[in-house]
Parts: sequence; C-alpha cells; structure tokens
Amino acid sequence: MTMPIPGSEQFSSRPVDPDELARSLPSSLTVHTVDQEQIDSLDPLTYEVIRHRLWSVTDEMGEALKRQSGSPIVTDANDFDFAISDELGQEVQVGLYNTMLVGAVDLAIYWTLRNRADNPGIESGDMFLTNDPWVGGGLHQNDVMVYQPVFHEGKLFAWTSAIAHQPDLGGVGLGSFSPAAQDVFSESLPTPPVKVVRGGVLQRDVADLYTRRSRVPMLVGLDLRAKIGANNVGAERLHALITQYGPDTVKAVMKRMMSDAEARLRDKLTALPDGSWTATGYQDQSHEGDRNLHKITVTTTKTADHLTFDFTGTDPQAGVINCTYAGMRGGVMLALLPILASDIPWSAGGLMRCFDLVTEEGTLNNATFPAAVGRGPIGPAWLTGSLIAECLSQMLDRDLELGRNVQATCCGTWDTAVIAGLDERGEQPAPFLSIMMEPMAGGYGARPHADGIDTGGLFCIPMGRVPDVEMTEFLYPVLTLWRREVPDSGGPGRHRGGLGASLAITPHGTSVPMGLVLASAGKAVAQNAGLSGGHPGNSGLDVVARRSRVAELLAAGRMPSELEEISDALEPAQNYASSYLAPGEVFAMTWQGGGGYGDPLTRDPDAVARDLREQKITAGAATGVYGVVVTDGRPDATATAAERARLRGVRRERSRVDGTTGGKADLGSVKRVDDNLVESGDAVACRHCGEVLGGVGSGERLTLAVYEGPSTDAGPQMIADPADYVDTPIVFRQYSCPSCWTALYSGVVPADHPDGAATIGRLTVTTG
Amino acid sequence: MAYVIGVDVGGTFTDAVLDDDAGTVLAAKSPSTPPDYSRGVLDVLELLAEQLGRSLPEMLADTHHIAHGTTSSLNALVMGDVPPVGFLTTKGHRDSIFIMNVEGRYLGRSPHELQNVLGQDKQHGLIPKRHALEVTERIDRDGTVVVALDEDEARAAIRSLVADGVRAIAVSLLWSFRNPAHERRLRELIAEVDPELFVALSSEVSPRIREFARNATTIMSTQIGPGLRDYLSTLESTLRENSLAGPLLVMQSNGGAVAAAEAPATAISTVGSVLTGGVVGSVALGRQLGHRNIISTDVGGTTFLAGLIVDGEPVRDTTTVINHHPINVPTLRVDAIGSGGGAIAWLDAGGNLRIGPHSAQAVPGPACYGNGGTEPTNTDANLVLGILPERGLLGGRKPLSLELARQAIDIRIAKPLGLTVEEAAAAIYTVQNAQTGDLLRKTVVEAGHDPRDFVLYAFGGAGPAHCAGYAAEVGVDEVVVPLGPVASAFSAFGLASSDIVLAAELSDPTVVPFDPTRAERNFADLEQRVRDGLARQGVRFETVQVHREIDMRYTMQLAELTAPVANGPLDITAIEAAAAAFEKRYAEMFGKDAGFREAGIQAITFRVRGVGVLPFSPELPTVAEATGPAEPASRRPVCLAAAAGFVDTPVYDYRELRAGHVLTGPAVVEVPTTTVVLPAGTTGTVDHLGSLTIRTAPAGSPS
Repeated sequence: MTMPIPGSEQFSSRPVDPDELARSLPSSLTVHTVDQEQIDSLDPLTYEVIRHRLWSVTDEMGEALKRQSGSPIVTDANDFDFAISDELGQEVQVGLYNTMLVGAVDLAIYWTLRNRADNPGIESGDMFLTNDPWVGGGLHQNDVMVYQPVFHEGKLFAWTSAIAHQPDLGGVGLGSFSPAAQDVFSESLPTPPVKVVRGGVLQRDVADLYTRRSRVPMLVGLDLRAKIGANNVGAERLHALITQYGPDTVKAVMKRMMSDAEARLRDKLTALPDGSWTATGYQDQSHEGDRNLHKITVTTTKTADHLTFDFTGTDPQAGVINCTYAGMRGGVMLALLPILASDIPWSAGGLMRCFDLVTEEGTLNNATFPAAVGRGPIGPAWLTGSLIAECLSQMLDRDLELGRNVQATCCGTWDTAVIAGLDERGEQPAPFLSIMMEPMAGGYGARPHADGIDTGGLFCIPMGRVPDVEMTEFLYPVLTLWRREVPDSGGPGRHRGGLGASLAITPHGTSVPMGLVLASAGKAVAQNAGLSGGHPGNSGLDVVARRSRVAELLAAGRMPSELEEISDALEPAQNYASSYLAPGEVFAMTWQGGGGYGDPLTRDPDAVARDLREQKITAGAATGVYGVVVTDGRPDATATAAERARLRGVRRERSRVDGTTGGKADLGSVKRVDDNLVESGDAVACRHCGEVLGGVGSGERLTLAVYEGPSTDAGPQMIADPADYVDTPIVFRQYSCPSCWTALYSGVVPADHPDGAATIGRLTVTTG
Repeated sequence: MAYVIGVDVGGTFTDAVLDDDAGTVLAAKSPSTPPDYSRGVLDVLELLAEQLGRSLPEMLADTHHIAHGTTSSLNALVMGDVPPVGFLTTKGHRDSIFIMNVEGRYLGRSPHELQNVLGQDKQHGLIPKRHALEVTERIDRDGTVVVALDEDEARAAIRSLVADGVRAIAVSLLWSFRNPAHERRLRELIAEVDPELFVALSSEVSPRIREFARNATTIMSTQIGPGLRDYLSTLESTLRENSLAGPLLVMQSNGGAVAAAEAPATAISTVGSVLTGGVVGSVALGRQLGHRNIISTDVGGTTFLAGLIVDGEPVRDTTTVINHHPINVPTLRVDAIGSGGGAIAWLDAGGNLRIGPHSAQAVPGPACYGNGGTEPTNTDANLVLGILPERGLLGGRKPLSLELARQAIDIRIAKPLGLTVEEAAAAIYTVQNAQTGDLLRKTVVEAGHDPRDFVLYAFGGAGPAHCAGYAAEVGVDEVVVPLGPVASAFSAFGLASSDIVLAAELSDPTVVPFDPTRAERNFADLEQRVRDGLARQGVRFETVQVHREIDMRYTMQLAELTAPVANGPLDITAIEAAAAAFEKRYAEMFGKDAGFREAGIQAITFRVRGVGVLPFSPELPTVAEATGPAEPASRRPVCLAAAAGFVDTPVYDYRELRAGHVLTGPAVVEVPTTTVVLPAGTTGTVDHLGSLTIRTAPAGSPS
C-alpha cells in the first residue's frame, strides 16, 4: 500500500443536506423545485398516473441501455442500472438490476453540483461521465456512469443516469482486474466527472480520452453510445411528461414519491422494537500471496424510525479487497431494498434518508485513495450487504409478519475465473477472452417459512442469468464436463439453504495452454452464514487438475463426473491467482449456496426424505446432519427420534457451559425473538424447552452451551480446507440451549470471532 | 355451398364463427366443458347449425374445414396438470432444467413481482429429479462424437423410468441439433423397451442452440403431447361420426393451423393457439380496411392481450415464456400486459391508488356482479360512472348492482382518500387508462416501433369502454372497434380466417459470410420437411408460399433477430443481403449505431416457414347504409373525466346503427356484448363492415 496522496480527499463524495446543497449552487445555475404545499395538494389520481409514467420512463431507459449495449456483462449478466433523480440528485426511481449501484448514483451528482457548476458549468444538452468510485456513480472503475442534467425553461429540473460495468478499461490486468495490485495505479484510471456531451454533441476528444485506455475500445465506445441513448430516452420522455402535466406537478410527484417511500419505511421501522444487532464477516486473502483474514463488522441500531449502521472496528484497507464509501452504501442498499422495501416503490432518495453510516476512513469498506478497489463490489461491498442483511433479519425475525423477509445469508461473493487463449477451431486461429459466468447461479439463504432457492442467483443482481453451456462452447474452445447443483451445498437448517453449483471445463479445440486468472473468497471461512442455529452453506472450492486423465477417459467412452476420476494431482487454487490451464487438464469450480435457517435437527423429516430423493442432500447428511433415518424413501420415525436424541447427546458431550440456567419459564405468554428464543417477562428462554437462559437486560451474557471444533463439523458442505488458504485457525462454533441442546447459532468462523453469547437474542448489545 | 368454421375454446366460453362463400357470417357462444372440452365444441357447433336451420351432420358435411384453437394444453401446463414424463440427457448436464439459467426464477413475472425478490421461487420445476436421468455420451459443437452413447446404461435408465410409471419420455442431448444420431438411437432403445411409449426428441421438436430452452421445450411438448393426441382423436372421431368431411385443423402459436393428426408430435407449437386468434383476425380485418400497422388489444374480464401488426404482417417471436420457462416456439408476439375489466383497485400502504395486477377473476368477479366480490374493479367504476347501465350489457342476462359497486368503491377507495364515490370511480377510470397506455407503449417500443404510426383495434368485452382513453395516452389517433356479427367472437373469426403454416428450423451457428452451399443444404432440407408436412395436411391449397429466414446476432451482443432470406439459389450476395436486413432491423429495434458490427455477425438458426393458403378468405359482410342521422336510444348522466363531472350523454343502441352514421363524443354505444365509449373531442363513424372507428375530432370542430 502506498502512502495517502494529499489532494485526493476532494474527490470523496458524501451524502449531503439537500437544502445546504441548493444554497451552495452558483447564481448561474437555477434549479426548479416546489414547496411542500404543492406536494400536499397533489390529487391521488394525478399522483398515481405520473408515478406510473416515471416508472415507465426508467423502464424504457433500461431497455434502451440493455438493447444497445455490446457487453455480455450487461446483456447477459444484467450488471447495470439506471435512475431518475430530482434537481439535486436525490434518486426518485431506480432500476431493478444491480441494486448496489443505487447507493452510488446520487453521490456522483452531488459531487458534480458542488464541483462542476462553476466550471465547466452544468447546462442543458450536457452529459457527464465518471468512473471514479470515490466520487460515486459506480463501485469500481469498471462501473461507468453517464448522466445528464435535464433543464426546463432554463432551470435544472432533474437528472437521468445510466451505469454499466465495462469489460475492460485498462490497467495491468485483463478486464482491469489485477489479483496482485498494490494500489489503484495498477488498475484502471479513475476518471472524475468530465463533460462527454456538450450542447447535445459528443465531445470526441473526451470520448477518445476515455476509450483509449481500454483493451476493447470499440466495445466500450458502443456502451458509451448506449448510455447516451438511454439518457436521451429519459430526457425526451421527461419533457413529454412536463408538457402534459406542467413542471410543478411532475416535480411535486417526484418529491412525494421519495417522501412516500421514506414514510412507509419509517412506519415499518416504528413498528419494530428498538435494538442493536451486530454481524461480523470476513474476506479470506486480500491479494495474490496473502494468507490473512480481513474483517468487516457492523452494529445496526434501530431507534424509533431510524437506522444507524456503525462499521467501527472494521479492518484497515488491504490488497485489492477494498471499496469506497459508495461501495459501503451500495452494500447497504443491496440488503435494504429487497428486505425492507420489497413492497415500497424504490424511490431510493427517500429510503436513504432513513439511515446513517458511521465509519472510519481507510478501512476495507471506506477505503481512501489510492487503495486498489477492483474487487470493490463483489468483495467488500457485497460482504457489507450480507452483514446488513444478517442484522436486518435478526431485527425482523422478532415480528412474524415482517419476518417473512428474514433470510439467512445468500451466496456471499462472485467467484471470478477469467480464461484467455487461442481458439483453433476455425480456419484461422483467433484469440479469445471470457469470464466464466456460471457462478451467477449461487444459492439463496433459507427463511423462517421456506427453504432457500437452489441456484437462485445472486441477491445483488436479482435479474442475473447464466449462459447456456452450448453458447459457451460455441464461443470458446472448452468442453463442459459438468454443470450441476451440488448436493449438501445448501446450509443445513430447519429450512435448508439453496444449493450452490459446480462447473468443470477442459480445453477443447486449442493446442496451447490458456491463461486462468482467479479471484474469489469464502474458501476458509463461511460467507453464507446461517441464522437461528442454521448452518452456513458450503465453502467454495476451485481446483486445477494437473496430470489429468481426461483425454484417455473420453477416448475410452467414459464421461468423468468426479475430480478423483480425473487426476491424482488436484491442486486447490488460491483465491487470488494468475495461473494457466493446459490441454488435457481440467478446471473445476464450486461456488456458494445459501445459509440455513433454524436447527437442522428440527427439520421436518419428510422434507429431509424429499431432499434426499431429489438429490439436494446426500444420505450421509440426512443422518449425520439432520438426524433423519430414511428407509425406502420414507423417514423412519422411531429411528429418527433415536438418532436425533443421539446427536443432541453429542452436543451435550462436546460442549462447555459457563454459568447456570434459571429453570423453566412460562411459555404461555411470550414474545418471539427468533426461531429458538422467546422473551417471557424479563427473561429470555428457550422456545423449545422453556429453560430460562438469562435476563432481557442489555449487555448480559446468556447462559449457553458452547462448542468449537474443526470446520468440517458444520457438515459435508465444508469442502475446502481452511489451512490451504489462511494461517488463522478456523473453527465450527455452535451455541446450544444447555437444556434441550437445540442449536441457537452455528458458524464457521475464525477462532477469535466475537463471542456470540453476548449478542444472541439481545435487543441491545455493548460493543467495543 | 361450403363453410369454414373457427372454434375458439377458452377457459370459460367456447366461441365459434361460421363463414360461407356467399357473404354469411354467423357467431355462437357456449360454455366450455372442462375437462372434456370436446362436448363444448359440439354444443357450439349445434348452435351454429340451428342458426343455419340445418342439422349438425348437414352443416358438417358441407364444411370445408374447422380451425380450432384450444387453451387446454396451456392450462394443463400452467396448472401442472400433466402426466409424469421422463427426461434423458447428456451426462453432467441434467441440472440444466433445475438451474434454469437462474432466469427461471423471474422470467414472465410482472414488474410488481420483479421488485419483490423474496417473493420469487423456482417451485415451478418441470419434473422431479428422479425422472431426469443422464446417459453417457457427448457430442461437441461441430457435431463430432467425443464420447459414444453407452447403450447399456441408456437401457437401464429407460427401464427405471418405466418402472416408475413413466409413459412418455423427452430426449434432449447437448448439440443434438448438430448431430441427432444419439437421440435417434435412444428412440430405438426406448421402442425396444416398450414401443407404446410416447417419445419426443429435441432434435425434432426444437433443433435450436441453447440447451435450457430446448430441454424445457421438449419436456413440455412431451407433457402435453399424449393428452392432445387423446383429445383430438376423440373430437375428430365425433365430428367424423357427424359427417365432417373436411379436415380438422388446430391453431398454432405461429398464427397458422396444422392438421389435427400432425399436431401431437410437436404439441408445444399449439400451446398459444387461443392467444393468437385475435391477432390473426386483426390481420384479416386490416386487409379489408386497408390498415397495415395495427396494435391489437383484446381485453377480457381477467386478461389484457396486446399484439402488433407491422406492414400487414403480425410481429413474430421465436421464443415465448410459459410457466417461467423460455420455450422455443415460433409465435406471434402477444403480450399479456394487464388484467382487464376485473382488475382490482386498491390503496397501497402509502395510501396511493393502485390498479391491478390482481384481478377479481371470473369468481367472484367485480363487486357489482353480486357474487360476493367486495373489491372494487374497473367494471365497478364504469358502472358508477354511468358507462355501464344498471341493467348490464344489452346481451347480458343479469342486472348489475350499482349499490354493491358504490359500496366497494366507497369503503376501499373513496373514504380512505376523502373523495366522493364518483370522484374515486373517475380516478380509477383515468388511472386505468393511463397505466394501460404506459404498458401498451412498452409493448410497441420494445418491438422497435413508434405507437403514433399505428391504428389500434379494440375487442373483447372490456376493451371498448377504455380504448379511446388508452389510445390517446400512447398517441394513437384512430381506434377501430370491430363489431358486426363477430363482435363477441373476434378471436374465432381469426381462426376461421387462418391459413396453414408450418415451420421447420435448425441451429447451425456460423459466422457471416459463410459457405452458401452449406446454408443452401440447410434450407433445402428444411424446405423439403415443410413441403412434406404441408402435403400431409389433407387439404387443397390455393398456393403454397415458402419463406426462408435466419436468426442472426452480433457476436458480442445477445439479441437475436430474424432476417428474411431471398428464395432461389443461395449465393454470397443473398447472404450479404440477409445480413444487411438483419442490421437494418437491429438499428430499428435498438437504435442507429447500436450494433457492434466490428465484432462480426453470426448466423444461428435457419428456418423455413411454409404457408398453405386455403381457398377461402372469410370477409366480414357489409352492413346496411344509413338513411338518416343516428338517433340516441336514450340519454343518461355519464362521467368520463373527473374535471368535466357527470354530463348528460347520448346512449346509442348499436343494433340501430348503420354504415355511415357519425356520432360525436361524449357518447356511449351499447352493443349486446360490450360498451363503447366516445370521449368528448372524438367522433365515432360506423363503417361499411359495421365497425366503429373513433378518431380525435379535428381542432376547432364542435365537440
């Protein structure tokens, strides 16, 4: 890490007070706004008609962007988004694609209003471009935002914006990603807001300055046009709307959409008990050669109708696994939108008024220049989102109705695998480069009333998709040996986490080794935590099979389905690696499923039998993890009861209990805490056996049974050996009720992970 | 004398239209009779025969053909009411149908549902995993066998499926469209185990690249094939017993029909048949009226279907979505964009007025039906506003309850918002029209067109009350409401006017420019298949038209578009012309310069469409000319805009209107099966076919 660079602070954008921002604007830039009276006097009919029309405008912008884009990252993976903001940049309506970008868009507009209004000026017919993650707009330099001030009668009325991930914008690594980067200077150059369109004319010098850095300048140029086109669609339709209804009415609707979303979220928060919830997670390895764990921790405090996310205690920035403030905020939105706002229109400008962020500069998710931030969205921002989701789930789990949106952690990262080489199948050999898109098929977390969705996708890009094997084989010289769901990869629980999946490829149609660049996480520690005693989902695992027998097997009429058939030299790939894959070798990757919910020993035996029949779990897991004995496809009730009793006995044997419990509580009139715990008067008790584990008061530890053992005790989903990746000892830690031995927490964490007994089931915790 | 009969079997009603070659057009309607829909077909045919004053056998003996559209296969798929089906696929790739490319979680969901990620799931899987078995074999993208088929393993798999009660097997292997040898051998092995098993091969049902959609298409086709076979053979033998001489044809999603005996083998091609009848009818009517660009809107009680006709041809798609799965079936593009007359008005948690997507369905229906519905719907608002009379539709048998409609709107909308019932009803009407306009615009714009270049057709019971409103929202200034004898059965009219269309396709992905001889061989094979297929239909065609086309894409871009290819010997010039047509279409769809042509163009799928033109093109008969001005049958206060309030409005009885009558809005026209609204500032002209054309009155004219 190089030293901080004086002068770089001015590019750090932060949320603003809109009134203060408005007052700070130069007199040359007048903005259109409305007062509260105009907002209040809207009739419901006009409001709904214009609200729907604004939705339709953003929808059409997204459609224009998607259709004009040349990048499969946009067209296949849907890694893009778009928004309409008010005159100050507050987001009125956002798209449904990469939801992390929502946390970054307004930051760039605020910064532009502050730093570009005087010089070069913000005028009608202008569009700005930025890919500076400190300014905002995107989470790493590959996210490029093009945005436009929309004027009406000389006044700044609104902003439209379009952002998409660009396949390559230069830097030392392919795709602008370098697994060994020391700082941002090894990556793509961040570009603060520049005027790429002036007076409706694309500025060729600026456009060239931007595209020149890329290894695929034509593709990047095409996406630039696509974003300009999307903004044009937005402006054109906004103008039509203003013509039809008048600027004041349209603006009043925009303001009310935000205040409406805000009010509805505040109502929801008010209905919940005040409290604090903490979650801590890790990225294993920060760059090529690193063997450390890097921690992000957050305490979420809900007071009345407001949330505070306090990241104090998060580790310092390191390697390539950092993100800027925009990434942290984007991570928050990735969790907040679907969990708290699934039934509220996504007028993000209003929703974002309901929380504050507390954070230290120079940390993993608030990195200062010149930290490398290439893995920002898929590493630290994603982890931030997973931890926020964990906190929100603990908060909502107390309420049966709102608890419908409780979810154990989903697949916690994107496993990057880039292949590049020579395709010799055509008449002329041709170079190729591809990112394996299959890891888009991650598993979703389990919920209080449902299993997680098997290969449901990624929580942060709800509308992602994976390509067909045939399309991949048509385009690139590989043969896909398998692409399949992995049994047991969903975290065990009363409800099971969704399965992750696995892919194996071998070169086919090329005689030279292809380059293989890897970047991932979640091999040593679980990034897909369970909830309420549910176990984490599987660890990921990437393997290169050297000295492989695959050619001989295929020639002999055999299609291998296990790595052991293929080679005796199976090399677990490090999370960050620059490697190669030669003809005759096999590369196999397994990515994460979702975490489980509730103790697996309480899962409905019929569901376990069904899972076994549908090959969602193995026979070993049915008995060993769920304690269900299945005979002829049906659970054997007697044998299952005995096996489950035995497994609870194992927990009793192996666990340590500090303190004593307080006897049985009256379970007649209690308040739910989560799947296992209730509040009975001023006591916290086990919902299953009624044993009082402690008082409701803050800061007081519950009396719990604790066990720590090897990570494989979490179940057969732990397919990677932590010692292959990090030096820190990694354990399976389980807290149980010391009376009935129901699991209250089951995690795969470093041995120095914070003590859960201080936080489980508590409304308020003391941290630090 | 010869008849053509179109029969449209819907979920609730079975409609039929009979047309002869002497200007007679008759329509009939009868309740559908699930699960055996053939009874309802017989019922409706009896009704037609009665109107003709002939017996059923007499009518059928003189029938040239019956074109039949059915919703039963689609219903069976959507409701999961299908027999167990086995699936054999390439080792290592069984889970394609469970992973669903992830998109299976969200495809086909409304914008409302898309935002609620936690409300989605993948519970709509095609088959249980135990019925999906892998066989050792592998073919690569060039069609080369990498691993031979393990026949012993395959036999064991087939036997285990049969032992588990499976009577139909779908076979879909990787790259089978490049080399179908292993799939064909599997069919032989299945026949060895049991020759009675129903088998479908992906290389025949859907020889198109991208295994997930091909697998799903083959499996769904296998799920409905045996049922369709049983239903059609029952229906056909009953009709034969009743002297039907001509062929029984089944409508397909592609807007053309196919002989009943041929349909089950590629059952999936018939799955959208009831959706397309209205579009085909619009094409036929458009031909008579001289309209070449049409937005066709079919609004029923629970559905709102929108189709597009551009330059006289329906807009086609190569893929559709059924039960959240992408399905490879050449189809007319029909978007279900809203929820029709039964759409429920509600207040969200923020106290904002919302309409749909939930519908009161057929049961209980709108509150005013008095069947226990308490949620206010569009229909209830229309009743409060005076658009609908309390006695209900002219042809309806049941009066509507204004009291229940007012009560529902009052409790759910008006009181919470502090509005009068009338104001709330007017808000529902306006919001519904505006939002329909937004969704309709999306359909047109996403197909690459500007709505202002179109005429809008509105039919179905619930469309004509709103069409002038939603047409204005999208900028269309001419609306046609087809009335006359087929007002209530426009979709069946479409069926009666359809030709026979067969399509054959094959993916052979390659880079442009490619070897013309290879492409010519592809086309020649496909054309032979189409011509053989047409010959098997048992119908005399007036002419046979053959259309060649290629689905192309830019190498780096996802969207595939279909480009026409000139008939005749294929040379490099023809290929370049096809590529140019692709680029032109791409620019229309996605904007000028949107194509990344530097990355190259790929040809993916070759397709031949054969149209057997039937010696029959039913036309709507002309209606009598008006001899004097139109007289309103009555007047009543009607509210069409909140600002204008209730206005004393003339109400016309459509049965009294004649060609040439011009009505000035605001006005309401009551038709036995629907109600047409002419807002202020529009005129309505009855044309020579009895349709009502609504136009915006020229500026300055009295209104």
